Amino acid sequence: MSRLSFRPRPLDIHKKLPIVKSIKEFEEDDAPTATSSTRNSLLPRVATAHDSEKHRTLGKKISQEIPTPQFSTVETYERDYSQTFSQTTSYIHARGARAEIGEFVEYDLDNEDEDWLEEFNNERKILSPEKFETLLFKLEILDHKARERAGVLTPTFGAPVPVLLQLESAAEALQSLSVRSIILQSVYNYWKSKREQWQKPILHHLQPPPPVNDTNPYNVFRPREKAHRLHTRRMQRRENNVQSFEKLRQVRLSLEQAKRVVEVLIKREQKKREFMECAVNLQRTKLKYKHEAQLVDDRMALSGFPGSWKFTSSDDDDDDDDDDMDTDYTQSWPASFYPNYADSNLMVVRKEPIKRELKQRYVSDGWLERMDPDEPIMLFSKPLDSDRLAAFGIMPPSHPPTDDGSVIPAFRARIGRGGRIIFDRCDPHL
Amino acid sequence: MGSMKESKAENGAAAPSPATNGGADPPTSEGEKNTPKRGRSVVSGGTPLEVGTRVMCRWRDQKPHPVKVIERRKILSGGPNDYEYYVHYTEFNRRLDEWVKLEQLDLDTVETDVDEKVEDKPVAEQVMPAVIVYLCTVPAINLKMTRHQKRKIDETHVEHGHEELDAASLREHEEFTKVKNIAKIELGRYEIDTWYFSPFPPEYSDSSKLFFCEFCLNFMKRKEQLQRHMRKCDLKHPPGDEIYRSGTLSMFEVDGKKNKVYGQNLCYLAKLFLDHKTLYYDVDLFLFYILCECDDRGCHMVGYFSKEKHSEESYNLACILTLPPYQRKGYGKFLIAFSYELSKKEGKVGTPERPLSDLGLLSYRGYWTRVLLDILKKHKGNISIKELSDMTAIKPDDILSTLQTLDLIQYRKGQHVICADPKVLDRHLKAAGRGGLEVDVIKLIWTPYKEQG
Repeated sequence: MSRLSFRPRPLDIHKKLPIVKSIKEFEEDDAPTATSSTRNSLLPRVATAHDSEKHRTLGKKISQEIPTPQFSTVETYERDYSQTFSQTTSYIHARGARAEIGEFVEYDLDNEDEDWLEEFNNERKILSPEKFETLLFKLEILDHKARERAGVLTPTFGAPVPVLLQLESAAEALQSLSVRSIILQSVYNYWKSKREQWQKPILHHLQPPPPVNDTNPYNVFRPREKAHRLHTRRMQRRENNVQSFEKLRQVRLSLEQAKRVVEVLIKREQKKREFMECAVNLQRTKLKYKHEAQLVDDRMALSGFPGSWKFTSSDDDDDDDDDDMDTDYTQSWPASFYPNYADSNLMVVRKEPIKRELKQRYVSDGWLERMDPDEPIMLFSKPLDSDRLAAFGIMPPSHPPTDDGSVIPAFRARIGRGGRIIFDRCDPHL
Repeated sequence: MGSMKESKAENGAAAPSPATNGGADPPTSEGEKNTPKRGRSVVSGGTPLEVGTRVMCRWRDQKPHPVKVIERRKILSGGPNDYEYYVHYTEFNRRLDEWVKLEQLDLDTVETDVDEKVEDKPVAEQVMPAVIVYLCTVPAINLKMTRHQKRKIDETHVEHGHEELDAASLREHEEFTKVKNIAKIELGRYEIDTWYFSPFPPEYSDSSKLFFCEFCLNFMKRKEQLQRHMRKCDLKHPPGDEIYRSGTLSMFEVDGKKNKVYGQNLCYLAKLFLDHKTLYYDVDLFLFYILCECDDRGCHMVGYFSKEKHSEESYNLACILTLPPYQRKGYGKFLIAFSYELSKKEGKVGTPERPLSDLGLLSYRGYWTRVLLDILKKHKGNISIKELSDMTAIKPDDILSTLQTLDLIQYRKGQHVICADPKVLDRHLKAAGRGGLEVDVIKLIWTPYKEQG
């Protein structure tokens, strides 16, 4: 029975399971199958060892009848219940609740009432049980209405329920029943003393339910605490009381303070940013001015220079990180800065981003060159100074000599992102 | 199922000695004859049996069965030491607990080693008044007990039908409800012995028999009160909508909110036959489905089930009961099948609220077995548990436990297979019994509660 000693992996309810029609298919397989099939051929109700205890007890029970207490028929039944019912052709539809329909006397006399009535009647026919029932029922309803008007109806049974109905108002309301006032008074007194003894209405449906937190199992039919349960455990823990209200108010206060702090912080950061932008613009302006002046001088020296510089637009400059800054600065650049070519060849726009020109600035420095034209420029980083690098023991790799003895730079140095010094191998075929 | 005959026979056999459940009746003459032989020798000294004593007791089958004394009370008209005893037949469910006379007990078999709990009972309890006070504040298990002793009780104390409750809540439950308060009820044509305690209002605690109006389920303490009530009662059927009719069989849907008193009366009544039903909460969140057999006197309730209007745990049934006179005729299975038909109409899977009683579990297993095996017999090709669930509205967990209990799911070569040998299936189907009454879905005219205005 080694097969029973392990528990198979949990069954996936979405997985299609093959249905094996014949047990022989199983028996042709390996040994464990044989065990299981013989087990199958035993009594079907013998549960397997890995089945829970519950199943096993069930299995035993199928075989024996569960004894139950007994019942017998009531002889008076056919007299008590009349043969006045016939089924309608259509399905029966509910009417409103009995109490709402009105005329039905919902109250049934109990032993106490019957005993009192017997004594009251004293062998004579002063008051019929039916009339007595009606009176008690109406008194209950009137008292309930009186309590409703007085606003003392309680949703649950907390304190004893008082009697508010006065005899006079009861007599007035019950005039239509044409009961002699002396009888009504006796009934009223009896009812009132019964009510005071019970401390609650005697009509079932007017009795308030026990309070929600009452744990006495003899008190039944509490209202539910909540119509719906909250979704998360955290929500369930949160109670709706003064403490949690205070707590929430504290939370709100803290949040408002935090909001103010953050707003001020934002303001400060904006100012800092504006300040920095100003500084950057100033720097750029200085740089640019110096650089452009030089370029313009160079161009002046070269005759027949094919193109010109474009400063007015940056619409094609979209592949660069510091796009916006360029735009800003080109646009804010006053035309008066370029008195030299503003009137000469500005109209011949060369489709080349200005950045390219700035990048080319380093070409002359030999190994300090950028490989990737799209790589953003570290505007304010110092150019790599090979001498200073050497002072720290950082040497560019030696350049292999070429055939003609000239030295072609095989590496280029640059400052990578984060300030690391990077040597890139040059393409020898270039 | 042939079982009806059996219980009828039992009825007949028990008839000559109706004193079995006789409550506070004075000892019969027959009893007087029997007792002196054995009883007096032990009891004559004025020491009645202690609560907790184990002894053999003559049951309705006239054979001795082991019992445990749960409670005792003085016989009103008897001598100072004449007691009757409330006993639990240890072989059976609590529903058969009853008051017995001393002469039914075989005093030669008294086991004196009463458990500790009883010896420690306060003196006040030893002198029981004639009228039993049901409010019991004695803790179920004395605190002086060692952990080992407690465990021992936990282990031995669990009865059939209670397996789904933990030992602590079970003890509490039994302490509160250990003695039935109402011994018999009259409901329509039948006088029925009750099965369990039911928390009727205190005004009814001095009565051992209650008379129920068959239609509105109001209950009274005297027959005359019922007869007077019957003259004015205008109901001939449950106060709800008829949602199913097939021949003389009708199903009514009663809203617990609209018919509160009816719902509460039904709960009081049902609790008399259901051990683990709670009446703790009000009925307005439930719908009650009342199954009736109709004739020219009206629609007679044979059973019912209740259902939450909105269930978060996908319960499609909260309580289910077939009244004892109608049991073992297929009504319970009809009710179960009906609850699943409602679930299908709602487009949801459902499962009964737990714990299930022994009889309830049996009915459910029978239903699940029949439904699932019928599908497996006909189905071609592979099938997943989820598909079975979609077809039947039975919750996947219930499908799994049913198939596993029947050993139909085998784990082979790293995968599960359903082993559906037709012969095996037929045997299981036979054991599960036939459904008896089928639910004819065409006759169900019903709108789910959520869609009702």
